[in-house]
Amino acid sequence: MIEFRGVNKWFGALNVLKDITLSVEPREVVVVCGPSGSGKSTLIRCINGLEAIKDGDLLVDSQRLGDPATNMTQLRTEIGFVFQSFNLYPHKTALENVTLAPIHVRKIPRAEAEKAGRELLAKVGLADKVNAYPAQLSGGQQQRVAIARSLGMRPKIMLFDEPTSALDPEMISEVLDVMVAVAEEGMTMMVVTHEMGFARKVAQRVVFMDAGAIVESGNPNEFFSHPKTDRSRAFLSKILRH
Amino acid sequence: MLENFSFRTIVEYLPLFGQGLITTVWLSALSFAGALTVGIVLAAMNLQRGWLFRVPAKAYIDAVRATPLLAQLYFLYFGLPRLGLVLPELVVGIIALSLNSGAYVAEIIRAGILSIPRGQVEAGVASGMTYVQRIRLVILPQAFKVTIPPLLGQAIVLVKDSALLSLISVSELTRAGQLLASDRFMPAEGFLTIAAFYLLLYYCLKGLAALSGRWLGLQPARSST
Repeated sequence: MIEFRGVNKWFGALNVLKDITLSVEPREVVVVCGPSGSGKSTLIRCINGLEAIKDGDLLVDSQRLGDPATNMTQLRTEIGFVFQSFNLYPHKTALENVTLAPIHVRKIPRAEAEKAGRELLAKVGLADKVNAYPAQLSGGQQQRVAIARSLGMRPKIMLFDEPTSALDPEMISEVLDVMVAVAEEGMTMMVVTHEMGFARKVAQRVVFMDAGAIVESGNPNEFFSHPKTDRSRAFLSKILRH
Repeated sequence: MLENFSFRTIVEYLPLFGQGLITTVWLSALSFAGALTVGIVLAAMNLQRGWLFRVPAKAYIDAVRATPLLAQLYFLYFGLPRLGLVLPELVVGIIALSLNSGAYVAEIIRAGILSIPRGQVEAGVASGMTYVQRIRLVILPQAFKVTIPPLLGQAIVLVKDSALLSLISVSELTRAGQLLASDRFMPAEGFLTIAAFYLLLYYCLKGLAALSGRWLGLQPARSST
């Protein structure tokens, strides 16, 4: 579904992605973790072309990114993306946030899109907030609307970029619960997060990155209990200490 | 002093002021519509990454902002006919105001668009919107919200600038005041009256801006649930 083959990327002189080779199968859930600045956000932002790659190949849904034959806007409709800072449209209600792209990009009739939108908002537990504006919602609620917004496009892949990092602790679980539900429905997912509970519960694989490279990858239970490299041991001891 | 102030003459000239006021209103409205069009096009050009559109837009905006409106107006009114293009004075006036105000509107719109956080653009990109869809559905509605107050300011400036059209004999409000002043030698009555009408227009514009904000649903939703 997603395949990196020797992908490199630089920001100026900084090699932010170093020879990344990674493949994600359909219905697979992969958690990406690592210290800040290790390139994990950049990694998933490349998948929907928010960042361009310098060299190597990146195939998404059998289409090669950067290939003139690949219609990027079309491909992006198949990829949901959830941001750390939600990025909801502040001038639109929760329902309008969810239906905007389906109506204008997918060209779904408004009535149909609204029906689907209400169902999605109900699914993320916000049936009573359809007409609320983002400013009227808590962080956790906003992020759940953002997930509903991405699901509204009926994507084949969902990408999450630190979806709970901007949330108060008591709101993290409500967002993770929704993500678990999405994963259990068989969605192909790549999730940048340090939430180990989530990783253990639904991820088939954890990828650990440091300084732009994939240092280690493996089964979540194995990775968290018996990290193989010094770097991952040092990292885990830091996030687990408290 | 006040015994010399002739309210009667003002009343006598009211039909003339009325006509002048109406002309000022519709020519300002047309000019502002023109300025918005010019401004949107220039702002769009100015926001391009490539220099091909950006440089001409910047040059135009600089040229307009650096030169007096009166000089621009005289160039169009006296200069263009010498170059072979003769237009009625009203048309020249509206074109001059549109082109002049458009440069300022362009900068207001550009600032409004640049004030929208990058994440909003990315959210649009990620959901597969085209460039035009992102502008239309995500950026502009939000940019309008922040640009309405400065655009109102620009509209007020435009209404006042339209007084200069009296110098190319357009029968607008200031022209009516000039006529009263010169026919009866009553400059106090003439110019005080037009000042009152300009004040009236100012309050009308303020009201209109508040209404348009409400129509566009831009009232900030604050009430928490």
